[in-house]
Amino acid sequence: MPTDELLVVDDLNVAYGESKVLFDVSIHIRANEIVSCVGRNGAGKSTLLKTIGGFIKPTTGSIMFANTSLVGIKSYNIAKMGLKYIPQDKKVFSDLTVRENLELGSYATQDYNWDKVTEYFPKLKSLMERKAGYLSGGERQMLMIGRALLGDPQVLLVDEPTEGLAPSIVTQLQNVFLELSKKTALVIVEQNLSLVSAISERVYAVKEGRVVHEISDESDIKSNVCEQFL
Amino acid sequence: MVNIFRWSWGLLLAFFCLFLVRVFLPLPFANEILIFAIYTIGCNFLLGRVGFISFGQPAYLAVGAYGTAFYLFYFGSNPFVGILIGVLSGVAIALLVGPFFVRLRSDYFALVNLALAVIMFYLFEKILAKITHGDNGLWFLTNMTSTPIIDLGNPSDFFIFTFLLAFGVWALYKYLDDSIFGACCLATKTNEDKLKFLGYSNFNIRWLAFVIANTTTAMAGSLYAVYFGFVSPEITAPSRAADPVIVTLLGGVGTLYGPIVGAFAYTGMKDLISGYIANWELFIGLLLVFIMLAGEKGIWGTLEPILKKLIFKKKNSTN
Repeated sequence: MPTDELLVVDDLNVAYGESKVLFDVSIHIRANEIVSCVGRNGAGKSTLLKTIGGFIKPTTGSIMFANTSLVGIKSYNIAKMGLKYIPQDKKVFSDLTVRENLELGSYATQDYNWDKVTEYFPKLKSLMERKAGYLSGGERQMLMIGRALLGDPQVLLVDEPTEGLAPSIVTQLQNVFLELSKKTALVIVEQNLSLVSAISERVYAVKEGRVVHEISDESDIKSNVCEQFL
Repeated sequence: MVNIFRWSWGLLLAFFCLFLVRVFLPLPFANEILIFAIYTIGCNFLLGRVGFISFGQPAYLAVGAYGTAFYLFYFGSNPFVGILIGVLSGVAIALLVGPFFVRLRSDYFALVNLALAVIMFYLFEKILAKITHGDNGLWFLTNMTSTPIIDLGNPSDFFIFTFLLAFGVWALYKYLDDSIFGACCLATKTNEDKLKFLGYSNFNIRWLAFVIANTTTAMAGSLYAVYFGFVSPEITAPSRAADPVIVTLLGGVGTLYGPIVGAFAYTGMKDLISGYIANWELFIGLLLVFIMLAGEKGIWGTLEPILKKLIFKKKNSTN
């Protein structure tokens, strides 16, 4: 295994009560790399991200982030360590304004530089005083990603970022992810294969809780190749 | 004038109106409103900001009251020291039970707090009867010494002191509402998982909110003790457990001035209606049902947007 790994998941097993969900999953992510996980609904992709983020405790296996084991560490401390999870459901704090949502991110990380957020998502500038509950799906996703960028995380775990979004927003997010990867590693769970093939440097195919295939050659990452795993 | 209900001018205006209560209405009524409003604001904060409904506020009220009463009955005579001890007792009980209670969901949180009120009632009435004098309570009005500048034994001075204290409490809650901590409380109410994604501990936020809210409640208990010069287990009677929740709903959940309006309405109706019929709670109940069916916003929650609209209209027309 290469030595420049930032995040290494090894033989990870996860169960919800008696029901086992992940079986001996091993993946690795290098700095500034975009890695995608593809697979059918219920394959265990989101569970994998949540387990890495500390929201689910694995039964066995290890998760090493910058040579520190994440197993047993509380999710909010993992976020503080620079590994941020962006959930699938796009639920922001709807009673708070966009500004207050960003302030929450800033206070937790003590990073008040919002220029990088508005640089990626200029639209947020004009929405600062709007309650997040009134944002569109695309705007919410911008806010969630923007908020996660505060504190300059080393890894972003992004769960189905383009689900239900208009094609123009998907294109915008695609460009943002590519730009972000200059500073941050991204692990993206996604079913939009054109996005996966456009931005990913490696792809893991997940099926029934197992990593069944890894495409490590960028030239092999094509929609029709990934499609067989859906 | 635009932000009169949002910024500190709103606070000054609210307390100016409250001071008028003193001018136009009897002093005992004004004192009772002030104490009741302080009693309710903790409950309002827990319910409106953190999403915790508590039917155990009388427990914290009693801890504050008995903290003050024990000092004034057994150890000293300075009412200010008594209040300080009552408030510190509130901090202590909230720090002690908070880590266990704030882990619970809102419905269980409500019940466990009610259980605490029941425990406190029997603790003060039976188990500690030797020192609390059980049902007879502790009388210490004559034990309290006069203090310079503000003499808390004098109802007029007591009003001034409680008025200033209430202003400080409201300024604190106003600050909390506008702070990151206030936003965190609201966020933990709406979606605790999302807060974890950002690196916050929901437990710490809830515990701190719990301590702040119940310390305020204990402060109200201390004020009750000093004002009446008497404390009995009745203060934590489970039958009165819903009072602060009712006042919160009456005033407007999560609104800054709801507790003042709610306390005014509740105390006013109690004093007015109880003069004619014994079961005055019936009218409070009917009013509450009406308020809930009319939009769950409470009196101030309904009035605030109307007043804001009027002020904005006036401002636009003058511009």
